[in-house]
Amino acid sequence: MSSDTRPADAAASVTPSTGIQGPGAPLPDRPRRSSGWALMVSELTVLFRRRRTWAMLLALAAVPVLIAVAVRLTSSPVAPGRGPPFLDRVTQNGLFVAITAMVVCIPLFLPLTIGVVAGDTIAGEAGLGTLRYLLVAPAGRVRLLIVKYAGAAVFCLAATLTVAVSGAAIGAALFPIGPVTLLSGDTIGVGESVLRSLLIAGYVTISMLGLSAIGLFISTLTEVPVGAMAATIVVSVVAQVLDALPQLDWLHPWLFSHYWLDFADLLRQPLEWTSFGNNALLQGGYLLVFGALAYGRFVTKDILS
Amino acid sequence: MTRRLRTWLPVAVVPAVVIVGVLTVPLQAGAAVDLPDKTPAQVLAMIGDSNVKALSGTIEQTSELGLPSLPSTGSGADASASSALELLTGSHTARIYLNAPDNVRVQVMDRLAERDLVRNASDVWMYNSKDNTALHVTLPDMTGMARPQTDGAQQTPAQLAERMLAAIDPSTAVTVGKDTRVAGRTAYELRLTPRTDATLVGEVSIAVDSETGMPLRVEVQARGQSDPAFSLAFTKLSLDAPSADLFDFTPPAGAKVEEKTLPDPSAIHDLAIHDSAMHHSALHDKTMTGTKMPATPEEAKKLLEQLKAEQPKNGGGMLPGVTVDGTGWASVVELPAGTVTADVLANPLLAQVTESVDGGRLLSTALVTVLVTDDGRVFAGSVPAERLQAAAVGG
Repeated sequence: MSSDTRPADAAASVTPSTGIQGPGAPLPDRPRRSSGWALMVSELTVLFRRRRTWAMLLALAAVPVLIAVAVRLTSSPVAPGRGPPFLDRVTQNGLFVAITAMVVCIPLFLPLTIGVVAGDTIAGEAGLGTLRYLLVAPAGRVRLLIVKYAGAAVFCLAATLTVAVSGAAIGAALFPIGPVTLLSGDTIGVGESVLRSLLIAGYVTISMLGLSAIGLFISTLTEVPVGAMAATIVVSVVAQVLDALPQLDWLHPWLFSHYWLDFADLLRQPLEWTSFGNNALLQGGYLLVFGALAYGRFVTKDILS
Repeated sequence: MTRRLRTWLPVAVVPAVVIVGVLTVPLQAGAAVDLPDKTPAQVLAMIGDSNVKALSGTIEQTSELGLPSLPSTGSGADASASSALELLTGSHTARIYLNAPDNVRVQVMDRLAERDLVRNASDVWMYNSKDNTALHVTLPDMTGMARPQTDGAQQTPAQLAERMLAAIDPSTAVTVGKDTRVAGRTAYELRLTPRTDATLVGEVSIAVDSETGMPLRVEVQARGQSDPAFSLAFTKLSLDAPSADLFDFTPPAGAKVEEKTLPDPSAIHDLAIHDSAMHHSALHDKTMTGTKMPATPEEAKKLLEQLKAEQPKNGGGMLPGVTVDGTGWASVVELPAGTVTADVLANPLLAQVTESVDGGRLLSTALVTVLVTDDGRVFAGSVPAERLQAAAVGG
């Protein structure tokens, strides 16, 4: 990871700058207005110019490719009910690669990458010593916090879309494409199945918003970005472990990971929206609570670096 | 310092608002309902009068039977046994669509999977998404066949209700509980309390829709357990006719399809009458004693046979060798030696769910205990284990 901290005067005089550049990356053209949108654009530019971000998205894109190639190279057909769900459907319909990959990515890979991005939001700037320059500009701490969170949310969307698009692409390349069989046994056309894939991507993105809020809060607690990233990932693993213990079933509906795999409700006929609504409410609750905590911590914090 | 307090204030307020919202929203949903008072007989008559032809809704089943939760990943012959047990333990959500008399669709929504039952006139399809298999059953033409007349066919539902109440009065106290709300609809609550202490069942309550008389929720309380041991309830219900293409099922390409014809038309006919109130209440009674709702026709058929076996007063339908000891809630059913074969006894699954007791293996749940003796006899009842052991020794 590069660490080309800008000179203090440069950053303070130019405008709010967020984060750091990859080595050799030119400084983005930053507008002089310090509006929230400009800050947002600059945050996204920095996020998506990072090699780390691209490396993570590539790793996510590789999951469906691996699944598709492995299934393609195996001579014996996959028996139903073995391996990840939907794996046996892949040979009949390439569009299932994306769904299988989503099931595989949700428990670990997605939280892993999102933990890295969300944990890095504030702690990353603090660790590099750029945070106080960001706050010299009249952007304000609240606005910075919101922009940082929005950046993490955009990454959630990018990550899930990466899995969905790469899965659909490799599936279309290696397997026949046709009408998709839903869980209910009904069949829908390719057009509607694309729509449902997008809905699933939306569902999974929303599912990750709660974890992002937790990551943002943890990130305000420390100046060591790796610590915040690791803590966020640990939280997501702990939540899933708790969700698997039947003795704690009273707690399950309150765990942010509880509805993660219920995206499959979007593959029923007729569409079942209950879990979508429950999930959105739950993630909204986490966002409010941990957003408030992050606000309290960040606004009262003494920024020394 | 005050500035610090002021900034932390919203931090405390937001979670507080979220928590208050979480706590009050369900309370509002269960806000007090006040319906015109009715006697138990009137509520029973409402059930009899109920004439719901079309509905779409979501049913939730929860069981707190005290059974160990089993992994549903068994293979081969074990799979069907463990999936049957899996329906008994834990909770399930199913969507149900009904457009009487010919169209029914039930979808049991599992995580990342679904089990479907679709009936469209004489076609019955069962589909399991987990192994992508479909079963097609063609029902014989039943238009020429008369519907079986139930005992009460000539009576009004009110008369029938009075008669039923009189029949169960010696064993059960029937009262109408507090008015309640189920799936957003107001409902009367019919409570059946056994008059004996010798049974494991504490109370059975049935919530009856105040508008249509349709049962919306069945709950069975076990003695000494705060959560209902078994509960089957609508969480969402609409009485509009569901869209017709829901009942139009064609197996997906690539699915393994098995064709089956049922040989015995009378048995099928029993299954086909989904709108028969008598049939329904019989199934419900059965559910109350801890058996799951039948998921497949075979199970339903088995259940009906069991029902006949367990009602010796009815005479006719009794299986040979089955005896019933005691009356009412505390009765014990005995199946003769050889019912359980040696290889079933040796099944590790059986060993997993049962415990070894004097004279055999005991399956004990919050509502039902089953004793399998070493010589293959089976004793079952909604009674404590000691009662079964006594029956096994005495018999």
